[in-house]
Amino acid sequence: MASKQQEPGAGADQSNGTGGDGAAIIAVQDLVKVYGGGHGPGRQEPVRALAGLGFSVKAGEFFGFLGPNGSGKTTSIRIITTLLAKTSGTVRVAGYDLEREPEAIRRVIGYTGQSIGVDGELTGRENLTLLGRLYHLPAATVKTRVEEVLTVLDLTEAANRPAYTYSGGMRRRLDLGSGLLHYPRILFLDEPTTGLDPQTRNAVWEYLRHLHKEQDMTIFLTTQYMEEADQLCQRLAIIDKGQIVAEGTPAQLKAEIGADVITVRIPRDAAFENARDRALALVRGIPTVKRAAVFDEGISVHAENGGATLLDIVRMMDAENLPIHHVALSHPSLDEVFLQHTGRAMRVEEVKPMSRMPFNRRRR
Amino acid sequence: MAAQTHMATQAQPPRLVAPEGVSAASGSMFAEILWVAGRSLRKLTRNPMVLFFSLMTPVIWLVLFSQMFAKLFAQGASGGVALPYDYVAVMLPGVATMTTIQSASQSGFGMVADIESGFMDKFFVSPIRRSSVLSGKLLADGLRMAAQATLILLIAFFFKLVAGWRIPFATGILGAALLVVLTAAFGVAFSGLSNAVALRTKNTEATMMVSFSLTFPLLFLSTAMLPKGLLPGWVQAFSAVNPVSYLADASRDLILTGYDWAEVGSAAVAIVILGAILNGFAVSAFRAQGK
Ligand SMILES: Nc1ncnc2c1ncn2[C@@H]1O[C@H](COP(=O)(O)OP(=O)(O)O)[C@@H](O)[C@H]1O
Ligand SMILES: [Mg+2]
Repeated sequence: MASKQQEPGAGADQSNGTGGDGAAIIAVQDLVKVYGGGHGPGRQEPVRALAGLGFSVKAGEFFGFLGPNGSGKTTSIRIITTLLAKTSGTVRVAGYDLEREPEAIRRVIGYTGQSIGVDGELTGRENLTLLGRLYHLPAATVKTRVEEVLTVLDLTEAANRPAYTYSGGMRRRLDLGSGLLHYPRILFLDEPTTGLDPQTRNAVWEYLRHLHKEQDMTIFLTTQYMEEADQLCQRLAIIDKGQIVAEGTPAQLKAEIGADVITVRIPRDAAFENARDRALALVRGIPTVKRAAVFDEGISVHAENGGATLLDIVRMMDAENLPIHHVALSHPSLDEVFLQHTGRAMRVEEVKPMSRMPFNRRRR
Repeated sequence: MAAQTHMATQAQPPRLVAPEGVSAASGSMFAEILWVAGRSLRKLTRNPMVLFFSLMTPVIWLVLFSQMFAKLFAQGASGGVALPYDYVAVMLPGVATMTTIQSASQSGFGMVADIESGFMDKFFVSPIRRSSVLSGKLLADGLRMAAQATLILLIAFFFKLVAGWRIPFATGILGAALLVVLTAAFGVAFSGLSNAVALRTKNTEATMMVSFSLTFPLLFLSTAMLPKGLLPGWVQAFSAVNPVSYLADASRDLILTGYDWAEVGSAAVAIVILGAILNGFAVSAFRAQGK
C-alpha cells in the first residue's frame, strides 16, 4: 500500500520532509487542547481535552482512533483539519505546517464531521455542487465530478430532492461524498457510521475499503466501535481521556493480551464491591490465571486454557455464594485491549444527531 | 433502502487522482462571495412561506394604521389644516424600516443553524477565505432586504392606485430606489449585531432575545413611526441619537416632499458608522470561531 500516486499541483509532502519522518503524511506531536478557562461572563472551568497526543500516519494508511465518547476524538480531528485551534503542540499534514499553511492543508484534505453537515433545504446535487465550487475547480470539472460522486454513492435518483427528505443513511452518504469532490489525498472521518443501521454501516465500510484499496487514499477515521476499528484500520490508536493508551495494528494489540479472556460480571447491588474483591482474590489463586483485574462491572481475567479456568472460577465463586450476573469467555478482542489499558469496559454512546429545531442547547 | 447495500459494489469509487491540471486552488474572492450568497438566496426560494409571512406583517401595519390613526394624525399634525397626504404615507418609510430591522435582527439565525448542523464546517475546511462566508451572507441579506423594501413600496403604490391612498411618492422611481438602497444598507449594517450575538452564543434563543428586545424600542424611540414634532420630548432626545431616525427622516422626505441631500447624507453616515461598529463585532466573533 505504499505506492505513491502522481498528483499534479498538490503540495510537497514527500520531498521536503521538514516534519519528522518522511513517510508520515500526518505527524502530530505533543498535541494539547484545553477548552474554556477564558475570562468574562462566558468563563467556564477549563477542560483538558487532549493531554499531549503524539502519533503519525503513513501515506496510504488506513488509520483509526478508537475511543469512547468524550475521549478526545472529535477534538483531535477538528484540530488536524484546521477547524479548531490547538493549545500547543505541532501538527503537519501532507508536509504542511498547521499553523503556517492551513489553506494548503484545506486543499488536500476531505472531511466528514460527526454531525452531518448537509443543507437540508438544498437538493443533494446542489449541496455537492456548492461544496465543489468552494475548491475553485472549473465549473465543468465540478459538474462531472458531482455526477461521479452521486453515482458512486447511489444517490443519483434522489439527487434533485431536498436533502431533508433523505433517510439518515442517505444523508450520511451525501456527507461522505461532499468530502471527496476535490480529489483529496487524505480523508478525515469522524465517527462515520455512528447512528447508522447495520446494513448501511456495512455499505459504508465496503465503500471506504474500496476507496482506500483501489486508490491509495490515506484515511483517518475515528470510531467508538471495536468491530469497525478491527475491520477497517490497518493501524489504530486507542485514545482515552485525551491520551493515546495503546497503538499498533489490531493484531499486535490483541497479541499483547496473549491469553484467553474471561469476563465475570457481578450484579451491581449493595454487595457489589465486596463480592468483586473477594472474587478477585479467589481468581488470583488459580494457577492458570496470568492476570486478573477489576473493572466497573466485575472482574476481567487473562488465562491460559480459558475453558477450564472459567469452570474453576464459577465453581469457586459458587462455593462462596458470590453472585454472578454474566460470564463470558473470549479470545482477545479489542474490547479486552481497551479494558486492559483503561480499566473500564468500553461502552458505545450514540450521540444524537442535532435536531433542526430552533430551540437548541448550546453546543460548543 | 435496499439500494444502499450495493452502493459500493456497483460502481467504482471516484478517482482519487485529479484529471491533469485539476487541483483545488485559490481564486477570486468575488466568486466565493457569490457562491455563498447564491446558496442563501436559493434557500430563501425554498421557503416561500417565510418570504410570504415576512411581508404579511408590514402589509397589516400599513392597512391597519392607514385606517386607525388617519383622523387622529390629520388633526394632530396639522392643527386642523388638511394635509395633502394620508398618515399611511408618513408610516410607509417607517414600515419599510421596521421590516428591514426585523430581518436584520434575524440574520444570525441562519448562522446558528449552520454552526449547529455542521454545514459551517464545510465552509471552514474548504480553502475559501473566511471573510467570504460572512460577506456572502451579508450580500444575500442585503438583497433580500432590498426585495422586501421594494415589495412594500409596490404594495403601497398598488393601494394608491386602487384604494386612493394619498401617498405622494415625491421623488418617483429614482427616489424609491434610493430609499430601497438606504433601507437595505441599514439592514446590512444592523445585522452585524444579530450575527455577532449568534456567533458568540451559538444560541437561537439568545439571538432571538436580542432581536425582540431591541427592535421595538429602536423603532418607537425614533422618528420612524411619527415625525419628530409629534414625539414627546424625551423620545425626541433619544431619537436624535438613534440611527433609525436618520434612515426614517431621509426615507420620509423621499416619499413626502423630495430629495433632501443633507438628510440622505446623514443617513448614509449613520449607516456607515453603525455598520462599521456592529459588523466589526460580527467579524471579530467570526474570527474567534474554532478558537
Ligand atoms: N467546546 C467545548 N468546551 C468544553 N469542553 C469540550 C468542548 N468540546 C469538547 N469538550 C470536552 O472535551 C473532551 C473530548 O471531547 P470530544 O473531542 O468531543 O470527544 P469524542 O469525540 O471522543 O467523543 C470531553 O470531555 C468533552 O466534554
Ligand atoms: Mg466525537
